[in-house]
Amino acid sequence: MIRRQVMLALLIAAATIAAIMYLRDPPWLLSTTSGMRSWETDGSGTRMRWMGGHASFFVAADARTIEIPIRTAFERPDDWPITVNVSIDDRPANRVVLTDAAWHRIVLTMPPRGSRKVRRIDLRMDRTRDDNRAAAIGEVVAR
Amino acid sequence: MLRAALVLCLTGYVFVYTSGRADNPIRSDGFSYYVYLPSWFLFHDTTLSSVARDCCGGVYPAYTAIIRWPTTRRWVNAHPIGVAVMQAPSFAVAHGLTRWTNLSPDGFTLYYQHAAGLSGLFWVIAGLMVLSRLLRRHFADPIVAATLGAILLGTNLFHYATFDSSYSHAYSFFLFAAFLDLTERWYGGPRVRTSVLLGIVAGLIALVRHPNVVFLIVFPLYGVERADLLRSRVALLWDHRRLVTIALAVAAFVIAPQLAFYYQATGRILVSSYGDLGFNFTTPRILGVLFSVQKGLFFWSPILLTSCAGLAWLLRSRHSARAFVPPALVFLVLDTYIIASWWDWQFGGSFGHRGFVDTLPIFAIGTAAFFERVSRQPVTRRVVGVIVFLVIALNLFQMLQYWNHVLPFSDTTWEQYRRVFLQWH
Repeated sequence: MIRRQVMLALLIAAATIAAIMYLRDPPWLLSTTSGMRSWETDGSGTRMRWMGGHASFFVAADARTIEIPIRTAFERPDDWPITVNVSIDDRPANRVVLTDAAWHRIVLTMPPRGSRKVRRIDLRMDRTRDDNRAAAIGEVVAR
Repeated sequence: MLRAALVLCLTGYVFVYTSGRADNPIRSDGFSYYVYLPSWFLFHDTTLSSVARDCCGGVYPAYTAIIRWPTTRRWVNAHPIGVAVMQAPSFAVAHGLTRWTNLSPDGFTLYYQHAAGLSGLFWVIAGLMVLSRLLRRHFADPIVAATLGAILLGTNLFHYATFDSSYSHAYSFFLFAAFLDLTERWYGGPRVRTSVLLGIVAGLIALVRHPNVVFLIVFPLYGVERADLLRSRVALLWDHRRLVTIALAVAAFVIAPQLAFYYQATGRILVSSYGDLGFNFTTPRILGVLFSVQKGLFFWSPILLTSCAGLAWLLRSRHSARAFVPPALVFLVLDTYIIASWWDWQFGGSFGHRGFVDTLPIFAIGTAAFFERVSRQPVTRRVVGVIVFLVIALNLFQMLQYWNHVLPFSDTTWEQYRRVFLQWH
């Protein structure tokens, strides 16, 4: 009985360690995003996703530069510009102010590859418009 | 039974989130119950402003029920901190994993979401465990198993353990079961340990949902089967005043942080966190709450009629579980009145009436008594068994209809109900 319990405990411990190792750099991370709504197409035919105050996505760690198409909406005359703070793995990387409704490209030069297979990009806005929409993000290009 | 309940709930949970029936566990009311955790532990901020800045450009969306207090302009959350306190262990695990995987540590990415969702599921299973222990003291094992199965699958408890598990009901279900269990144990042999546990659970009951504080009436009224016993109950509690004081002090200690947060946000320790929304005590919708097609308790969970029959039978019997009946009846009357007086007596979108999920441990005692009584006659047992099976099947089918958006989230009319009855699409 005790031997069976020890075996079960060892099995659970081994499975837990294997799961934790797997979760270090899981393959699904590259397709994971947070803080963004579903894809849609705007009036100019550009595929985009609206984000609220904070969104994140992942790119392969061996990318040297990435381009993020971004725009916001100016629906009212008194709408303020929106400041976008971009970080790579929690380190500040760029800061852009969106003063009009046109598409802009944020270009990031990626720091040298570390121990991970993917890098996390976070976008933080200083304000949002109605319905918690801050900016629309187009398809990110990694090179 | 409990293992089967865990497997069933986990299967239901995985189905909800892999089939796209729901997007993220932290949504609607679940957001405002949970928001304290990222605010306290990730942003080190007790005012909730940092999360508002991070998630929403500085202003919480209206659906969150987090409002700016008119005089101080600080954020006041309609939902208190109790759920967040009980989610804290799973939040800690989620935060560690988030760092390990390098997901965004903002409190709302993948692991945080499912830690909050699975936390509710965990507390429902814990509630069933406590309820099982309580019921076993009074009923045979097969009766207990049948009761737990009927309560989990024949009411909206399964829905609030899986689909809407980040709401407060899963937590209150556990706390009510624990309070009943501890109350009985306290009267069986008053001890310091039981008194401390009673104080913790009582405090958490108030912290999870303020109106549920009425449930604490179960403690002084337990076993008071006639009015003339009230005096001896007061004398008994006076004899044990040291232990009662310990329980009250522990409960006050548990509740204190909530009062501090209210004071910080509003300058007062007692506030109506719902702002102008409140109770209509002169026009309670009793019939609507109990029998209507919109959200009527017995319309959507007819299995609970067995509980009413069981409680009525217990009251006239000499059964050992009879001591629960007087406080249960007083509480159910008060609770129904309070729920029916709330400005939105349907409690917004919900499957069945979610206001009563918290009270299911009480109903379980009645259902167990009913099952025990009918189990004595083989023919009645078979007939009741078939009816209970059909009622459970109907409940689960209607729950899936709700998940598939076939049934409306609220304001269901008789016409709508008839049109989609037993319809999959």
